[in-house]
Amino acid sequence: MSRKLKDSLLNSITYLCAFLGVLVLGSILIYVLINGLKLINVDLLKNDYWSKNYLVAVENDQSSTFECDGCKGYFSSKWGVSFIDEVTSHNEKVISVEYIAENSPFEQLTSLTAGETYGQIVPMEKGYMIEKIDYIDSEGNTAIAGKILKQDAQALQESLDNASSITSIYMKSPGGGIRGSLIATLYLILISLIISLPIGIASAIYLNEYADKSKINRWLRQGIETLTGVPSIVYGLMGVSVLFPVTTVFGATGTSILLGGLTMAIILLPTIIRSVEEALIVVPQSLRDASLSLGATKSQTIFKVVLPCCMNGILTGVLLSIGRVIGESAALIYTMGTFISDNPVINGPATSLSLMIWSFMSAEQPNFELACAISIIILSVVLILNIVVKIVGKKLSKNFV
Amino acid sequence: MKRILCVLFSLMLLVGCSSTPAADSSSTEDTKEPTAQTSSINVYTRDATSGTREAFEKAIGLEELTATAIEVSSNGDMATKVGTDENGIGYVSLSTDFAANNVKPLNFEGVEPSEETVLDGSYGMQRPFSYVTRAAGDFGSTEKEQLVAAFIDYLCNSTEGMLVVESAGGVVDLSKGTPWAELAKNHPIVNQDNSSITISTAGSTSVEKTLKAALESFVPLAGNFQFVMNQTGSGDGYKRVLGEEKTGVNAADIGFASRSFNEDEDVSTAMSSGQYAIDAVVTIVNADNTLSDISADSLNQIYSGTLTDFNAVK
Repeated sequence: MSRKLKDSLLNSITYLCAFLGVLVLGSILIYVLINGLKLINVDLLKNDYWSKNYLVAVENDQSSTFECDGCKGYFSSKWGVSFIDEVTSHNEKVISVEYIAENSPFEQLTSLTAGETYGQIVPMEKGYMIEKIDYIDSEGNTAIAGKILKQDAQALQESLDNASSITSIYMKSPGGGIRGSLIATLYLILISLIISLPIGIASAIYLNEYADKSKINRWLRQGIETLTGVPSIVYGLMGVSVLFPVTTVFGATGTSILLGGLTMAIILLPTIIRSVEEALIVVPQSLRDASLSLGATKSQTIFKVVLPCCMNGILTGVLLSIGRVIGESAALIYTMGTFISDNPVINGPATSLSLMIWSFMSAEQPNFELACAISIIILSVVLILNIVVKIVGKKLSKNFV
Repeated sequence: MKRILCVLFSLMLLVGCSSTPAADSSSTEDTKEPTAQTSSINVYTRDATSGTREAFEKAIGLEELTATAIEVSSNGDMATKVGTDENGIGYVSLSTDFAANNVKPLNFEGVEPSEETVLDGSYGMQRPFSYVTRAAGDFGSTEKEQLVAAFIDYLCNSTEGMLVVESAGGVVDLSKGTPWAELAKNHPIVNQDNSSITISTAGSTSVEKTLKAALESFVPLAGNFQFVMNQTGSGDGYKRVLGEEKTGVNAADIGFASRSFNEDEDVSTAMSSGQYAIDAVVTIVNADNTLSDISADSLNQIYSGTLTDFNAVK
């Protein structure tokens, strides 16, 4: 009886703990999904973070009026363009262009910015944000309209209908996207894995296959395991002081993706060594013996027999590493910088996705929704990478057992 | 057994999910209820990284915040919460829409907060947004130096620049503005292609919003130059432009501080230095509150927790 009681007690504790774990993780996931899902769209993935800024002139042709059947927003029949009020993903109120009528003067915008593009046609697209319009009103006075006067779409349309000619328009393309940071994150993963995988696997092979059971080797192993516990921010500071001179050889002048990748590679080493070593231990001794007895050398045995068998361990290491790199922010603040770059290059500054979350959350007005949206993207990137790695791994793996 | 547990689990998950988004509102109600009868003050404050909080605490000389203060995450959040809490007191930036949020701005030391009183300096709870450039001849190229000079002129003296700064939340004196078209005549550099020039900025994070708006609007006016903003804190503004980091990894062309540069920061060697806008903080209470004026002393006592009753505020 008491045996039964004990068993059921233990069982229920196990069940309860498992449920608690899944409950907490599930709640976090659903919280992130509820808050972030509404901000996820193709524009977020595709757009640059920084808006393109244009100063353009309009061809002032007053011959026709325009009609708009069923288009949304406030339509200026004089200029053939309609505006709506919008709130961007950064909680900023903007006036954006909703519809441009055919043959509208707004279709023919020429750039007023000095330089190569001067006089070239700037295509106006739906979603462009109108910041400021300089115009001459019906009485011949110069006036300004637009978002920087705290106008809304309706007021802008009324001002425009009162304009006899438009001097210049300052407009911005929709920004706020994360394309640059997404690419930078993939670069970061690639660089850190390319550096840490060979070193990590080789170290694991040495520790498990070559090293004898001396005191020094025991200490070595202990040291590597302890390194997993070092706070990543310490690695970051080490990266700035020790690894920065290395990256200057490759042309980096300040913080860079390369510096971030090198730092991450060091952070990853203990994880990779550990998981590969564990896989090496599981490979049966009989396989090695068989290979050696057939006349293969030790290195042939290791690289052609043992290593293909522990592909799973290497894969585990890679998967854990991807998760670690994509989730790291503390070490990268110092090494990659916090300037969001739209065209990341290896030896220039950029932010990874989690660094982007860090900078949104530490801003004057924390942006939970956007942070959650980026979290969802991080989760899906990890998921996709994991599936890819598993498929590739299955192709490569051999099982002699 | 398994089936029952499964049902139980999914129920728990559902309950957990439906309560997470509502957690915020319920917790504020909790704090409100017991104080509804008494008139003890509910103190609202911003998160520790906020520049507004820094300015506010400095203006009232606060040393230690009361442990009962409720932290809110943004300017809008602060206005909403104080607007629904009869006994709430908080602080927001001057650009907030007070009436829409059902809050009342308080006079500070007898002075009404408004653009005029901020600009003439009589309203005390304010701080300047200051800038300092590198020393003349130290920009690496004369083009860059001219472009920085043009930008500073645009930022401080042009109507367009001032409007942009104002719409991003800074207080500026628009009557002193000159149309950029006139100022641009002194800066021939803006009439050429500058896409190869990168201006880098450093310093205060509080200036980030106004600075970003100003830089972005200046890009098409000045030949598509590039800019890099690396805002980390007021202390770095001087350091990375004229101080010890001016030649290092983090060197910048223009440094910013959300305060005046102090004695250790000798800006006399800079090509130009000054302030381009003012940030003003306003104390707010619920619209039903009878209080209309408050002193720095009373605020200090309220925020340090020694004064807990609105009736006792003189």
